[in-house]
Amino acid sequence: MHNVVIVGAGPAGLSAALAAAAAGAPVLLIDSNPRLGGQYWRMPSDNVGQQGEQHFDLDTGLILINAVKARKEIEILSSAQIWSATHKDGVNTLRVIQNGAEKIINTKNLILCTGAYDRTLPFPGWDTPGVMTPGGVQSLLKGHGVLAGKKVVVAGSGPFLLPVAAGVVKAGGEVVELLEANNSARWLLSPFVMLENVGKLKEAFYYVKTISQAKVRARFATAVIAAHKNSEGNLESVDVATIRGNFKVKKVRNVKCDVAAVGWGFTADTSLAGALGCKQIVAKDGGVVVSADSDQQSSIPGVFVAGEITGIGGAELSMAEGVIAGISAAGFVGCKVEVLKAHRKRRAKRQRFADALIKSYPVKAGWISWLNDQTVICRCEEVSVGNLKYAVNELGATDSRTAKLLTRCGMGLCQGRVCGRSVVDLVASELKVSPTDTDRYSAANRPIITPIPLGVLAAGE
Amino acid sequence: MSQSNLEFTFDDQTITAISGQSIGAALLAANQRSLRKTRFNNNDRGLFCGIGVCFDCLVIVDGISNQRACLIEAKPGMKVQKQVGSDA
Repeated sequence: MHNVVIVGAGPAGLSAALAAAAAGAPVLLIDSNPRLGGQYWRMPSDNVGQQGEQHFDLDTGLILINAVKARKEIEILSSAQIWSATHKDGVNTLRVIQNGAEKIINTKNLILCTGAYDRTLPFPGWDTPGVMTPGGVQSLLKGHGVLAGKKVVVAGSGPFLLPVAAGVVKAGGEVVELLEANNSARWLLSPFVMLENVGKLKEAFYYVKTISQAKVRARFATAVIAAHKNSEGNLESVDVATIRGNFKVKKVRNVKCDVAAVGWGFTADTSLAGALGCKQIVAKDGGVVVSADSDQQSSIPGVFVAGEITGIGGAELSMAEGVIAGISAAGFVGCKVEVLKAHRKRRAKRQRFADALIKSYPVKAGWISWLNDQTVICRCEEVSVGNLKYAVNELGATDSRTAKLLTRCGMGLCQGRVCGRSVVDLVASELKVSPTDTDRYSAANRPIITPIPLGVLAAGE
Repeated sequence: MSQSNLEFTFDDQTITAISGQSIGAALLAANQRSLRKTRFNNNDRGLFCGIGVCFDCLVIVDGISNQRACLIEAKPGMKVQKQVGSDA
């Protein structure tokens, strides 16, 4: 019987595991990847070799990973996918698949550190091979030592575009364009936050130095609004537009490239927390996140949450939250330990930085004007903007959930993880209303966490 | 071929991978960008999210369809095929 079960071995999960173990609680750490570190400290196999130059701070990651491996109180379950999570009478039941076989784990004490994935916006041609998420391009570099293309356009919004562009340069690729949709001056909205988070400034300068040495010029108020394929069906070029503050297009030009990495910040992976019934809230950027109290406890006693699933804030905030969650969970199972003032202060400082990020890199509604009726919205079920408009204007869908039922938008294998947020915005825009929180929760939740073969179900209990 | 390299096939093509790489990463390194054709519009799709979220990089691995190329580690002698339609 494990006292504390932790899901996710990124910055939050590793920190939580160490803190709980240090407080004397036995820990079971479950992760879907073959190696610890999460997306942030994605580790390659020994044969691929450490991609040190792809990380700003690999040392911190390696220290945490090695410390977790060294603690005998921590048992690690890697390459394990949780497909179902339920909560009943204070007990959480996780159904885990590892090597094709199902394991059932019952626990009263759980820390969810399930992280986030790239937020994408649809645009004409975004389903062409060669259009990727920035996170996808980075995971190929960090985890596999593979550069996605020779001529790369990095675009979208948010600070994450910088490490991705720097990573491409370091791996010997050409960043043809680095495009930030928002205006550079938006950081002036939060003047003091930068000063108290000097570490983050250093990180930014590190990337900017690499990028400028390669003579890549960053352009602001500019976005990729369409992608074009060659005769073989692969990406050949993108349309790049200068845009207004509301993201409406001013002027368009064509840029040749073989990869376009386009991302708009992140979406928290709240699937597990949602399935258990943890209370969720809508963050300022419209994303659904899990609500946490000052001890990182969710609305379910004994279920703690840390990292990106409580709000997008980066690795350092995730670590600060992870430590508090680990201590709190250990306290919950009876260890004599408490969260210190210093822990809360560290978290608060990093939270202010996260708030400033959301303010600096908004996604404005004008992106919808980049689409046409043929643009694919739901990549899995190949539902187009035209299909969605038909569901609203002719079939009478009055909310995104009904539009989904009428079109199968968001009902494919990814279960709306990719298109869910955009569908909510599109349907509301078509109806000329603002999306409701109910729309957003509905798009963010799914009862099955990951598709599984029927045979596994049949062989189980 | 060094010890850490391995070979698998993608349709009739032989692909070399470094052990530990995913099928998707090895295919991209071999400049194989299109991994499947969609069910309705017969469009090409390739790696998109790279971390198992989007289910766009589906391929057939040793006869089993709907496998995410970005997650599955390449193994020697694996028979990987482009997935056309649902191919189930």
